[in-house]
Amino acid sequence: MFDAFIDGLFLVLQWKAFSLMLVGMSLGFCVGLLPGIGGAATLALMIPFIFKMSPAEAFAFLLGMHSVAATTGDITSVLFGVPGEAISAATVVDGYPMAKKGEAGRALGAALMSSLLGALIGAVALALAIPIVRPLVLTFGSPELFMLSVIGISCITSLSGAGARGQIKGFAMGLLGLLVSTIGQERQSGSLRFDMGIMYLWEGLDFVPVLVGIFAIPEIIDLAVRGTSIAGEGPAENLRSGVMEGIKDTFRHFWLVFRCSVIGVFVGIMPGAGGGVAQWMAYAHSVQSAKDSKDRERFGKGDVRGVLGPGAANNSKEGGELIPTVAFGVPGSGAMAILLSGFLIMGLVPGPDMLTKHLSITFSMVWTLAIANIITVLLCLTVLDQLAKITNVRGGWIIPFVLLLVFVGSYTANGQIADLIVTLIFGMISYFMVLFGWPRPPFVLGFVLGKVIETYLFISMSRYGFTWLKHPIVVLLIILMLVVIAYPYIQQRRDRSGNPADA
Amino acid sequence: MRKGRVLFCIFLIAVAAYAIHSALGWSFKTRLFPLSVSIPLLVLATIQLLQVIFGKGETDEGAGLDLDFSSDVPPEVARRRVINTFSWIIAFIVSVYLIGFPLTVPLFIFFYLKFQSEVSWLYTIAATAITWGVFYTLFQWLVHIQFEPGAIQTWLDL
Repeated sequence: MFDAFIDGLFLVLQWKAFSLMLVGMSLGFCVGLLPGIGGAATLALMIPFIFKMSPAEAFAFLLGMHSVAATTGDITSVLFGVPGEAISAATVVDGYPMAKKGEAGRALGAALMSSLLGALIGAVALALAIPIVRPLVLTFGSPELFMLSVIGISCITSLSGAGARGQIKGFAMGLLGLLVSTIGQERQSGSLRFDMGIMYLWEGLDFVPVLVGIFAIPEIIDLAVRGTSIAGEGPAENLRSGVMEGIKDTFRHFWLVFRCSVIGVFVGIMPGAGGGVAQWMAYAHSVQSAKDSKDRERFGKGDVRGVLGPGAANNSKEGGELIPTVAFGVPGSGAMAILLSGFLIMGLVPGPDMLTKHLSITFSMVWTLAIANIITVLLCLTVLDQLAKITNVRGGWIIPFVLLLVFVGSYTANGQIADLIVTLIFGMISYFMVLFGWPRPPFVLGFVLGKVIETYLFISMSRYGFTWLKHPIVVLLIILMLVVIAYPYIQQRRDRSGNPADA
Repeated sequence: MRKGRVLFCIFLIAVAAYAIHSALGWSFKTRLFPLSVSIPLLVLATIQLLQVIFGKGETDEGAGLDLDFSSDVPPEVARRRVINTFSWIIAFIVSVYLIGFPLTVPLFIFFYLKFQSEVSWLYTIAATAITWGVFYTLFQWLVHIQFEPGAIQTWLDL
């Protein structure tokens, strides 16, 4: 096994594989920065180029590209409040407010370093977990996966605001997101729902136009209203020390980063849950780790822990997603499904062979994840100073470029003007959500998870009727969900009993 | 502000009511999930509406984990700037519809920088040229994204 581990490293370090990994990383870097051109779509575009490569070269190229896109997606989330990737949306919630406070360097340093640690933990998990993960994956059927997704939404909704009113708003937004996800053709029977006679809606709403509308438009409006730079008129941040501070933050909150990385790996292993759930669950965990309700109020206003959690989970889930893909041929996400086609093109059959005959290739993937992320973070750290300076440029100078980024990203979803209209409509709704204090994260998570949840619910009901509610793991997950929902109340009560003056 | 909060709750109630009304006519499989989410949405939005109307007013129990709009700018100026920015966004979309994406990109950058941001001619022209160059190289030349022709080009058969 150790020999295969070392062989895997040498496979990646061969000049051709290494060069291809660098090419893939450059592509991934650009893809991560541009909203709309997702990592999965680029993987699909690059598949035809791997035919003449060896397996180690092909995976160095594809995985190098894919893992870097997840890291650089955080950069636009922090600088402009525009998620570079759909899986970078949670970074906006605290990363962009940090940029507005003049702490863009610190936020970027924290995002990149936590991404690196997350990726390394994901790679280690991939190396260690393959022999032992099989029973875990097989234990989780549709009912358990349904409950896992519901917990993902409950986490974020229950933390969306203090008190009962905050919870009502959080849950209402989560439900609205789930409802919006049902627009279009129902996948089991093929019936059309809420299509209003518009053909564009038959296939449902694409993630990108909705996500950039929800997150980017209100941020752009706010920037235009303030009439200043993103960082405002406060004292300019010492960028180099800001970046260093972000890196130190990562180690200061090492255990939080570690726990969020583990969440990312776990969610990555579960087929269908995807990066959207991983980052929001990690964000919710970061919020829950606050000492008390006062400490919790700092989240959403620019708390570095809100950047560290999603950053780590975002990248660790790459290693997690590879585990079922390599070991059983069960892809954990769309990107992994495309990668699976890469296996077949290379003549490799995922399963026991990958753990015996082709173990060195499996380990070359582990090394690619680790090396690609280390190189990316080191390169990014050298240019972060320059990137963070963008937040000191007058808003009026950068708004048209950010708007362009938003609309090009939105347009690439389907290549129709309707994509732009969807972005505008959701941008307007999102503006009023922010104005009247309705939280956006639960809406986004509900929308992202809606289709998965409906499919799992449908399969559970068809196969088990209502008896799936009695499955032991489902019962455990229901209890966990209730704890998650009750936790803010428990914390509030504890604070009040600790400080009777606040009562 | 209170009127706006009421209207937003009514909007949510209307969305949920529309969803329930539409879903009731579908088969069990098709309506199971939409009804499971729209009924609680209707209940929660109604509770929130009643709280806004009869409650003690909005407290800080709002969107804990979200952006707060800037409150440094006088409301009248803020409202004008919001309408102004939305107008630019709508103008962008109308322009894409009329003349297509590739032509809209340089025109939008040029007009926004010159007339909204009031930057110098040199910066405006340089920024417009660079943006158009990057846009063309990346999206049209490298990625080959197919942009729909504008209505005017279609109408003139260009």
